[in-house]
Amino acid sequence: MAPRYVDLDKCIACGECAAKCPKRVPDPFNAGLANRKAAYILYGQTVPLKYAIDPEHCIYLAKGKCRACEKVCPTGAVNLDQTGVHRLLQVGAIVLAAGFKTFDPSHLDYLGLRRAPDVVTSLEYERLLSSSGPNRGHLKRPSDGAEPKKVAWIQCVGSRSLNKCDNAYCSGVCCMAAVKQALMTAEHVKDVADRAIYCMDMRTHGKNFESYYEKAQAQGVRFLRSRPHTLGPGPQGKGVRIRYASEARRELILDFDLAVLSVGLEAPRHFARLAETTGIAVNDLRFAAAQDLTPVASSRPGIYVCGCFTGPKDIPQSVVEASAAACAAAGQLVLARGAFVPETAIRPVIDVAGEPPRLGVFVCSCGANIAGVVDVDRVAGEAAKLPGVAHVENALFACSQDFQERIALAVREHGLNRVVVAACTPRTHEPLFQETIAGAGLNKYLFEMANIRNQASWVHAADPAAATDRAVDQVRMAAAKAARLRPLSEPKLSVIPRALVVGGGLAGMTAALELAKQDFTVHIVERQAELGGNARSLRATLGGQDVAMHLARLRRRVEEEGRITVHLGKVVAQVEGYVGRFATTLTAVGGHGESEVVEHGAAILAVGGQEAKPNDYGHGKHHRVMTHLEIDRALRFGSLDPYDVGSAVFIQCVGSREPKRPYCSRLCCTHTLKTVLYLKEKNPDLRAYVLYRDMRPYGERELLYQKARELGVIFIRFELETKPWVVVGGDDITVYVKDHILGDLLELPADILGLATGIEPSDAADLARMFKVPLDADGWLVEAHAKLRPVDFATDGVFMAGMAHYPKPIEEAVAQAQAAAGRAGALLAREEITLPGLISRIDAALCSGCGVCLAVCPYGAISRGEANLAEVNEALCKGCGLCAACCRSGAPSLAGFTDADILAQVDAMLEDHS
Amino acid sequence: MTREAFSPRIAAFLCSWCSYGAADMAGVGRMGYPADFRVVRIPCTGRLSPKFILSALRQGADGVWVSGCHPGDCHFISGNLMVRRHFTLLKNLLEYVGVEPGRLHFSWISSAEADKFARVAADVAAAVRALGPASGALGALIKAV
Amino acid sequence: MQTRIVNIRAAAKAALEEGLCRVVAGYAPGAIAMRARPVFIDKPEDAGKLTWSSFCVGNLAGLLTQAAKQASGRIGVVAQGCVSRNLVGLIGEGRLAREDLYVIGVPCLGMAERRKIEARYPGRAIIAVEESEEVFVVRGKRREERMLRRDALRDNCYTCVQRNPVIYDALVAEPVPDTGGGDIDKVAAPWEKHPPGERLAAFQAAYANCTRCHACRDVCPLCYCSTCFVDESTPQWAGKTGDFADVATYHLLRALHCAGRCTDCGACESACPQNIKVRRLTSKLEKDVRALYGCQAGMALGESPPLTVFRPDDPQDFIK
Repeated sequence: MAPRYVDLDKCIACGECAAKCPKRVPDPFNAGLANRKAAYILYGQTVPLKYAIDPEHCIYLAKGKCRACEKVCPTGAVNLDQTGVHRLLQVGAIVLAAGFKTFDPSHLDYLGLRRAPDVVTSLEYERLLSSSGPNRGHLKRPSDGAEPKKVAWIQCVGSRSLNKCDNAYCSGVCCMAAVKQALMTAEHVKDVADRAIYCMDMRTHGKNFESYYEKAQAQGVRFLRSRPHTLGPGPQGKGVRIRYASEARRELILDFDLAVLSVGLEAPRHFARLAETTGIAVNDLRFAAAQDLTPVASSRPGIYVCGCFTGPKDIPQSVVEASAAACAAAGQLVLARGAFVPETAIRPVIDVAGEPPRLGVFVCSCGANIAGVVDVDRVAGEAAKLPGVAHVENALFACSQDFQERIALAVREHGLNRVVVAACTPRTHEPLFQETIAGAGLNKYLFEMANIRNQASWVHAADPAAATDRAVDQVRMAAAKAARLRPLSEPKLSVIPRALVVGGGLAGMTAALELAKQDFTVHIVERQAELGGNARSLRATLGGQDVAMHLARLRRRVEEEGRITVHLGKVVAQVEGYVGRFATTLTAVGGHGESEVVEHGAAILAVGGQEAKPNDYGHGKHHRVMTHLEIDRALRFGSLDPYDVGSAVFIQCVGSREPKRPYCSRLCCTHTLKTVLYLKEKNPDLRAYVLYRDMRPYGERELLYQKARELGVIFIRFELETKPWVVVGGDDITVYVKDHILGDLLELPADILGLATGIEPSDAADLARMFKVPLDADGWLVEAHAKLRPVDFATDGVFMAGMAHYPKPIEEAVAQAQAAAGRAGALLAREEITLPGLISRIDAALCSGCGVCLAVCPYGAISRGEANLAEVNEALCKGCGLCAACCRSGAPSLAGFTDADILAQVDAMLEDHS
Repeated sequence: MTREAFSPRIAAFLCSWCSYGAADMAGVGRMGYPADFRVVRIPCTGRLSPKFILSALRQGADGVWVSGCHPGDCHFISGNLMVRRHFTLLKNLLEYVGVEPGRLHFSWISSAEADKFARVAADVAAAVRALGPASGALGALIKAV
Repeated sequence: MQTRIVNIRAAAKAALEEGLCRVVAGYAPGAIAMRARPVFIDKPEDAGKLTWSSFCVGNLAGLLTQAAKQASGRIGVVAQGCVSRNLVGLIGEGRLAREDLYVIGVPCLGMAERRKIEARYPGRAIIAVEESEEVFVVRGKRREERMLRRDALRDNCYTCVQRNPVIYDALVAEPVPDTGGGDIDKVAAPWEKHPPGERLAAFQAAYANCTRCHACRDVCPLCYCSTCFVDESTPQWAGKTGDFADVATYHLLRALHCAGRCTDCGACESACPQNIKVRRLTSKLEKDVRALYGCQAGMALGESPPLTVFRPDDPQDFIK
């Protein structure tokens, strides 16, 4: 471990070291566009918020003189003599998540990155747009600081290219990033004149991405199908001149104020060394190798890989893989589960019921951080006059270990039953002080903080008197609230260590087996009479692994696994309970026969989707007009012989990306490529045509596209307005399409016509209602957060996997199934869950049963109980307070933030204001 | 009280998950702004019923500022979006009965936007200062009518 | 008018006789001219007590919750457009159940503003008012005067958008045109026309005579909280005084509580003993809710009130 030169326990993040440090260095967080000091924090929200010394740039560490930071540090946290340490950790599993680096295009002269000052990389542009960036969110171009009105994006810089960079793959994320940046640019530049994205295909294949792309088009963002060949400085060296060829093969020149290079993703620095040290295999693309059916397993047992370490991918997929890797590791560690969990001691609690408030107020100086601006003695003096205050004390550092003992002592000596600390921010320090008073026997909720550092001394240094006034008021407000606080309990719920998986396809079976591996019992409910779902029709994975074999293996393992019970031909009829304690009724499809109740602690919804049935292009009129699955089945069962096919035509986006089914189904482009390659490999004489709108084989799938072109497959682009049409006559299929380059009408005879029809969700409306989880307008399950919680629902204890979330290929469905199992396993592994104290309760005397709270609660935590009045389920309530805000009668009250609590602070802040 | 000497009292209701964090980070970055604010930390803007805003004005706040998470970023999924309609109607209603628009402010500021926090704080303070003391926008000010 | 009265009585009688409901809420003539009062009848032979006129300004919907609790069985109610919309609202809020109601629907010609009629004949005692579809015949001690219905309508009835009931089990007259003739957007939120600097004065002047009797609340079918915020003491949202700050807080918050739920039935204004134009606040909110969220309260069963839902793209220009 490299030395940090700052003691984490002592640093209070006051920033004095950085203020005094004389050494300025380019700030990597701002892509080098701004400077920081050698004593630094990575960025404002760093966790933990502690400083560090950069040994590469520190004058003392490099030249042996300075130590300014050490002298100025008020807590003695700086330790320039710290040395690195070697630690030996004994672990049962390793997860490698070393991320990626972006492609550096500075050596590609034709892109003009260092030659034209107003050419920036997408990462640099991201910082230029950021309100925490070098220009604090004011968009300025580097050459002269002017606000750019015309901005261009150049896609695929360092992606989809072998001759310039040896990165044949698609980086998968840059198209959406460029669309996002284009839309954000208009938020920064009010009179934006032009936003042009130079692209080959726009790959907006993720959930809700296509509508975002459409929004950009509607807002006037231009998408130019071209790869510019030269970028150079514009007139007077400002702006950027772009030379490119139009689709009609004319050379054009356009001037922009700024150009952004959408740089691709590559394996991280030191990747080779890490791979060698850990002994894992590397793939042809120089990322960590993993297989489609085991997407987070490295080549070495016990070592798991996730995120962009195995190839470029976006945030949701990275987070999915992170949970999947955690799941795989948990399966590995199951025998040792709980081995290092510390015992928590039960502490005696002082009963404060019925006592009048006796407040202790502790006013922190934070060295000079507060006291240098705020008159802390005056704050303490004013606090002493407040009603209910029994004890006031100043502290040099309220967060120091010895002062925790002072607080505990004061609680005992003065019989305090509420504590107020005026110091920094509750966001970082409330848990520490709550722990302190809990140690002294007080309920931890009898605590309130006044923020007089971050929100007073640090921001009002120019006006110490006003800062002190504010601090006095904030303490008065905190005391007014504290006097009203009541002890709160944190109810515990025991967890039933059993999961219910709804849907017995690939995702459902994978999730069930992962949970069984972690020693939990699992029930699988499958509507159909056999397990397998869509995978029963599929031929091979992206990397060529045989799906049928894998499926057979999975089914056998599910059947042999004693911890798994399978309910075939059954559906969920009723769900009662909540996280940790569900009781779900299963009945036969159609509702007849005996029903059965399964008690479980968690549920995974993996009800999948299905291939849409096309109703145009002659489907149903000719047996050789086939969907993906129809072709796969025909190939698998031998009714279609590649050697009999002279010409094959594929039409993409059949019914997709149109008003009726607006989303992109993500997997059809790749599926077509797999099929056409298979046919072409079997029968090299085959003439093959793919008619497409955008080819979207993202990530390493791009290699299939490349290979298909090499093998002579012809790709013809069409627009939504000029769709191909199909004539079926007798035995013949003929496809007509307008060639996008030549403008000619082409006539393509086809022995088979493949229709890429896209995926539709299963009808999950009833299931969603029963589990209190949402569906979006297209019918997909809605995750708790599109980026950061991709397999969770807002409703605790319920998770999702597979195509019910969105169309996805096998490797992603497997990863998501593992992720859902990981999230569910983390819940089931706990014997009990502790519910937060700050939740809502309904005063039945005030409730009139109007139902507003039921309607607005984001968690479905409120239901009608006795006399039709509202009742809060404490296991579901998260404490947002919407019910309290929307109720007209004041019946709900949110602990810690009751009407009276908030009003007491409003009263207190205005008490002396005339 | 002269305009110059006037330091307003502005009730700031800040969501704990975003704008309150931005205010903390503005401190870390030592971004100065007027000391006119008295902050009430709330778990979500969704907690903020119009009653609190009216109460603050009735009791003499010179201005009120409510700040929460950007649409789509609510810690509680949709608290900010649900309450946005209440805020819209309240804001319109108060302007309709003659409360100056500059007394009541709303913003979406994420915990990463310290700079926006400081900037909006300065704007809010300037707007309220320009109006002078309310002495209770609904109370004493009306006595002066 | 006479047809409506006859048919209301017949419908109520039949409903009670056939057991379609246990009790019927309707209007009975008031003790003096230009008044009607609510009445509950539970015997078919009492149907003759029911009446109908352009002075049935109280909103029966608000009386039903309590009645529904007490009556063991369905309850009948005489409902014109606005009252039926309030029934729909109360059903949505779980106060009533559609299957527990027997709605005797009355296509409404608009209610009269008694003060407008009195103002036309100042200083003269009005003994009775008879009405036809177009004309009111106002009878004093010695003479009769005629007044056009249009000139006597309440403001809210002039701008009504739903004069026929939206739900009913029996209808006592042919449907009438749904609108009252006036354009709500021209008259709603009248202070918007004032320059911002003059609105506060207008607001204060309009409510200067409020005695805080809370009749506007008591008559409102939306105000059924067991404890109104204005009566709460811990915490205290509005003081108990007649100071303008307290008066304003009461009326503003009450109006906000009705936002998205108010059907503009006008009961509040009719009930005000001080003749305060309470709708100057509520009509602003009604207008905003309609313009911003496309909602009108109580028009159809099963619709979510606008303040219990949102759209991601709701307007938010005022948010920084």
